[in-house]
Amino acid sequence: MATLLRVLIICSSVLVWSDVRTLVAEPTTVDFQRDVRPILSDRCYPCHGPDAKERKARLRLDTKDGAFRVRRGESPIVPGKPQASELLRRVATTDDDERMPPPESGPTLRASEVEILRQWIASGAKWDEHWAFRPVAARAESGRVDGATSFIDDLVRRRLAREGLESSPRASRETLIRRVTLDLTGLPPSVEEIDAFLADERPDAYSRLVDRLLASDRCAERLALDWLDAARYADTNGYQTDGERSMWRWRDWVIDAFRTNKPFDEFTIEQLAGDLLPDPSIDQLIATGFHRNHRGNGEGGVIPEEYLVEYVVDRVDTTASVWLGLTLGCARCHDHKYDPFSQREFYEFFAYFHNVPEMGRTFKYGNSPPFVRAPTLYQKKKLAEADAKIRRAAEKLGELDAVIERDLAAFEKSLRSDKKIVDANVDRGALVKVDKVDAPFVDSGDVAAIGFYDKFTWSAWVSPARADAGTVLSRMLDVPRETGYALRVEGGAVHVNLVRRWLDDSIRVRTTRKLEIGKLAHVLVLYDGSRMAAGVRVFVDGKEWKTVADLDELNQPFDVMEPFRVGRGGGEGSVFRGAIDRVRVFDRVVRLRERRALTVRASLTGIVRKKSEERSATERDKLRLAFLDHFAAPSIRKMHESWIEATAARESLVDSFPTVMVMQERKTPRETHVLDRGRYDEPRERVLPNVPAILSTGAKASAEGQRATRLDLARWIVSRDNPLTARVTVNRFWQMLFGAGLVATPNDFGSQGEAPSHPELLDALAREFVESGWNVRHVLRTIVLSETYRQSSRVSPAGLARDPNNRWLSRGPRLRLSAHAIRDQVLAISGLLSEKLGGPSVKPYQPPGLWEELSGEKYQRDGGDALYRRSLYTFWKRTAPPPAMMAFDAAGRETYCVRTTRTNTPLQALVLLNDITYVEAARVFATKMMRKGGESPRKRIAWAFRRATGRHGSDREIAILEAGLARHLEEFGRNANEARRVVELGDSKAGAKLGAAELAAYTLVASVILNLDEVLTRE
Amino acid sequence: MTMNDRRKTESRRSFLGSATGALTGAALAALSSDAPGADAATGDDGLFRYAPRAKRVIYLFQSGAPSQMDLFDYKPELERLRGTDLPSSVRQGQRLTLMTSRQPSFPVVPSLFEFRRRGDCGAWVSELMPHTARIVDEVSFIHSMHTEAINHDPAITFFQTGAQIAGRPSIGAWLAYGLGTENRDLPAFVAMVSQSRTGAGQPLYDRLWGSGFLPSKYQGVKFRAAADPVLYLSNPDGVSGGARRRMLDDLRALNEIRHEETGDPETPTRISQYELAYRMQSSVPSLVDVSDEPDHVFDLYGESSRKPGTYAANCLLARRLVERGVRFVQLFHRGWDHHSKLPAGIRMQCADTDQASAALVLDLKARGLLDDTLVVWGGEFGRTVYCQGSLTANDYGRDHHPRCFTMWLAGGGVRRGYSHGATDDFSYNVTENPVHVHDLHATMLRLLGIDHTRLTFKFQGRNHRLTDVHGEIVDQMLA
Repeated sequence: MATLLRVLIICSSVLVWSDVRTLVAEPTTVDFQRDVRPILSDRCYPCHGPDAKERKARLRLDTKDGAFRVRRGESPIVPGKPQASELLRRVATTDDDERMPPPESGPTLRASEVEILRQWIASGAKWDEHWAFRPVAARAESGRVDGATSFIDDLVRRRLAREGLESSPRASRETLIRRVTLDLTGLPPSVEEIDAFLADERPDAYSRLVDRLLASDRCAERLALDWLDAARYADTNGYQTDGERSMWRWRDWVIDAFRTNKPFDEFTIEQLAGDLLPDPSIDQLIATGFHRNHRGNGEGGVIPEEYLVEYVVDRVDTTASVWLGLTLGCARCHDHKYDPFSQREFYEFFAYFHNVPEMGRTFKYGNSPPFVRAPTLYQKKKLAEADAKIRRAAEKLGELDAVIERDLAAFEKSLRSDKKIVDANVDRGALVKVDKVDAPFVDSGDVAAIGFYDKFTWSAWVSPARADAGTVLSRMLDVPRETGYALRVEGGAVHVNLVRRWLDDSIRVRTTRKLEIGKLAHVLVLYDGSRMAAGVRVFVDGKEWKTVADLDELNQPFDVMEPFRVGRGGGEGSVFRGAIDRVRVFDRVVRLRERRALTVRASLTGIVRKKSEERSATERDKLRLAFLDHFAAPSIRKMHESWIEATAARESLVDSFPTVMVMQERKTPRETHVLDRGRYDEPRERVLPNVPAILSTGAKASAEGQRATRLDLARWIVSRDNPLTARVTVNRFWQMLFGAGLVATPNDFGSQGEAPSHPELLDALAREFVESGWNVRHVLRTIVLSETYRQSSRVSPAGLARDPNNRWLSRGPRLRLSAHAIRDQVLAISGLLSEKLGGPSVKPYQPPGLWEELSGEKYQRDGGDALYRRSLYTFWKRTAPPPAMMAFDAAGRETYCVRTTRTNTPLQALVLLNDITYVEAARVFATKMMRKGGESPRKRIAWAFRRATGRHGSDREIAILEAGLARHLEEFGRNANEARRVVELGDSKAGAKLGAAELAAYTLVASVILNLDEVLTRE
Repeated sequence: MTMNDRRKTESRRSFLGSATGALTGAALAALSSDAPGADAATGDDGLFRYAPRAKRVIYLFQSGAPSQMDLFDYKPELERLRGTDLPSSVRQGQRLTLMTSRQPSFPVVPSLFEFRRRGDCGAWVSELMPHTARIVDEVSFIHSMHTEAINHDPAITFFQTGAQIAGRPSIGAWLAYGLGTENRDLPAFVAMVSQSRTGAGQPLYDRLWGSGFLPSKYQGVKFRAAADPVLYLSNPDGVSGGARRRMLDDLRALNEIRHEETGDPETPTRISQYELAYRMQSSVPSLVDVSDEPDHVFDLYGESSRKPGTYAANCLLARRLVERGVRFVQLFHRGWDHHSKLPAGIRMQCADTDQASAALVLDLKARGLLDDTLVVWGGEFGRTVYCQGSLTANDYGRDHHPRCFTMWLAGGGVRRGYSHGATDDFSYNVTENPVHVHDLHATMLRLLGIDHTRLTFKFQGRNHRLTDVHGEIVDQMLA
């Protein structure tokens, strides 16, 4: 332990030393923003900052007023006079009683930090508002440094000069095309693309390359990936059971937005408030899925109010971080300790997102309301076809109208003359048909196994002998209030119970009106499979009866291994007192005309014996339906049949459409209160939606006198009055291309975040972004065309020592690829990659048993092309994410993420050497190498080396691999069984006609090549 | 930085991130921002304000929440009150889960199981835990544990990370970050999962051993009872050890050539990580291969310890892991969530875990490891005194209860034969010495020599701690 302690001290003293050295290099430029405020913030603000409740001695050091105020003849800071500044005295003193911060409250100041404060005060104590809250600076009209063709290079070189550093030469063209292709598309260039670029002698060859890349679908997928991390997009709900949800239509919307280079302001407004735009399109609704991507808790014992708050907090945290670079979430329980946000302002921001008609306890499985059906382009086309088919069938049927009328009249006539009573069922496809109930109850066995999501129709004639008549029909455990479904008559009311657990996991609906005792009534129940009480409708004698829900919390399947029973369900006492007959159960919601026909008790003979004008509409419906179903001429029946089929086909098509959760507003706004200590059950004063005061200067968030909406917020976020969004966004683009942002803390532009390394550059890029019409491609293009981006990443030990983190951009960054890019690249190099765009998420290889051992859920791996899709389409289960992705620091998607780390671990080596994904890719790559690389081992290896690295291997490099191949060949030659096992790995078939030993040996060589540091890295 | 310093630096870095190459720019940056107490260490005694009593931890997590009044929190008064409604003076309007809050009544249900005083300390233990009953003199019971969460996911996440909402580092990750590892060839933090006999149980989540906002190298490595005890450990079918060695030699030669060209210090680090992976391929299998254990060890842990993947086998592995210097071993056993049919369910759970939990303590003691190994036993909350569902002569269920429950700690500087805190006659409210989850964490860190207020990591502009802004050390439990 003591050793560790010493090491820490040493490390920190190294840093102190380098701080001082920076100062020595430029003694006159202690910068308030960069050097001073971070010290004040970190060490002083917890007790002397924005948090009014915690403020000690009524001293405030986060405002100029507070820091310079004279009290009792003393002032914390006296410009130009370090000796007279109380602040400096208190941080420098060795007297524990006097020293600030107090020794027990945390870290004291380092000597170097005291020195910074001293120099700053000595040089006049220039005070500025925090840089991030100031408007983006106007363009500086000064000449550029020599040779700088873009403002980026100009500003970077000026900074380098101040550090006494120089930029690096351009990277080679081979390196450059691989770098820019990987950066912009997440995939490597093909050898053909490299050759074409090398051969392109036009002066604008590089910018043409960049334009091609930016316009590619691959680029849209790559840009979408970072946004999915920011949006905490995933395929499961994230709590406890972690059931599947369906948000991929939102994911595809994001890809599409980047494909069409949707301006970032529209991109923002549609995602935050697309539903509030005038007459929103389905795409604009889908876009709002952004703020339904957070986790949802469907656990049994959840207190809904508690989680409603958590979802909104998540939206606040995410919005504030992703668009504003603010840690607003820190003000949930108390005023922000460092930045000027009060707790009240947190809840004002919270109020924008607090008005969604959502459930605190979400569904365990699937999407929770509000959601919309979101057909894909292909499905929309299919829908149009289905509609056309119905139209055609209806037309054809219509053409036969005269014939039908004639035949129907003849049929009626024949019925009337028939002495027998004729009737016919209008119960096409019914699962249950029980006509007579003469025993106490009827056990129909294993039928009508209606599931969790299934639509159904129940129809029965019921005559209750008393108010608590009992169970009409059921499929449930034969115990009162147990799992299963039941139609019951209790207290005269019709009850519909869909029950997993009686108290907290069921839909229980009853009619407000009551059946008449002793009177036969027709009861019909429709359920649309929505898992909502609102999806249950009850009709008595053809009239819809109003219902109330005793419970509306169905969350799990309610099917049981019990028989379907008529006249009983829920034990002895449930046996129906009264009469029941003609019970029908359908696994669909019956059509209107069928519904009406079911209510007719009269037989066909009975109907036709009435005069035509005395027949009711429902009787006419029954007669006509029965005729078309059973008695019409075959050609007519066939025509009728095809109309029904077309209608059913359309319904099942629509049912197959994916849904996506979206934002909506409640009609009557939910009241928002400040929550004491952030707790859901401690509401305090009421607040209305608003943006923090420090940011809203000059701009009202809403129209005068009206409650502000999410749309007002979204528009404000991308307005010129907001200095943050453009800076935060271009900073993330910079981070994507250089590994680190100009502000190294992309989610914290507050006083605890890092000051920008190049503030002028950050502002210049932000300005460029806004002035270009929030043009994402334009900004990316501007950056990658700069010489700064094109520098070589080679570094000498001396260069490393002088700019260890490449903070000053003296070279191009050399970065390990992201988790997604590593897998995608290997699939691309081997030729396995399937480039299908969008669609439901896929389940590629994953070691067996991982889901099962945590939750009992099964991972059903996909086959075929789905194994080789780009990784952004990989099914993301939040509580058990794909381990090979996590080994490479992929974001876990439980909360938003705008920066992933890049570690270097042995687990990564194990994945790349042993995971079937990579082993199979190596084998397929080996096959290609043997088929396409040429005849000799040397040629084949050289071919593969170039395909993987983008450059020609040196003789020395190829020789190492060639010698390796010979040794592998020798071993596999001796051991044919092992060789066969190697070539049989993976789902894809090994190339025919290639000898197993040879292919196995090449597979190992391919694996070495794919594991090269250079391959895993973008240089 | 001198060579000597560099060596020390390496020794503190965890297995997963250890590097034999030059200390890189990135690593230096990492040290400046990740290093625990790097800033705190300038002034006084830094992270370690106490002499550590424990060097390592084995945490036996009983997932689903065992019923305290059926195991350790003896409430003889309940027998008299059987079936009566829980007095509102006891419930005090506290919130209940939605699973029972709509029950028409809350009938009190005493434990079906017999309790006896055990050991010299006289701790009450139910007949369900005959083996644990034998180690009570080694143990500190906490009867007054309480938590804020009332549902499994937030509650276990709270125990593991100090916060109910996902995103924070797990306790093992904090310790890996704070203490590093004693064995460079093994992870500092290992997690293992075992199933209830019925296969049912509350789900577990990778986040429970995740690194949250700490660098991912601090996350727990899951050991599994599968062909690959660590994911991706084995060579692909048909690839021999010799072939793998040759591949790595070629890879190293090629990477070194590239390093001459680029000068990137990440390249030598990668080379060394591949070598480490290679060493793991032999060290991990030998670690999990228990065939070298004598029969009397299996007798101690119980017959099921011979079957990989069981709780007992994991207990034995835990001992082997700490013997080799792994800092934090955490077992998760599923299946304690007895909303209904509690008597049958808890009998099964105890039969599967009791002997091995006790055996682990005895085995560590016999090997002289108990003195500096902290063993922790407990679930994510307790269970209600009132019955959930129907109450019959021999059957009942219990709902979630966050307001009091029992845990036990042993070894590693914990006071022996001690019981801390007390609950009311209904095991419903804590009546003395409440111990919050944050307090437990603070105390565990204290035993490891760490000041819980100083183990911090700056994220989103704030120095985060496992204990947030809370946590009181339970001094009475320190030996």
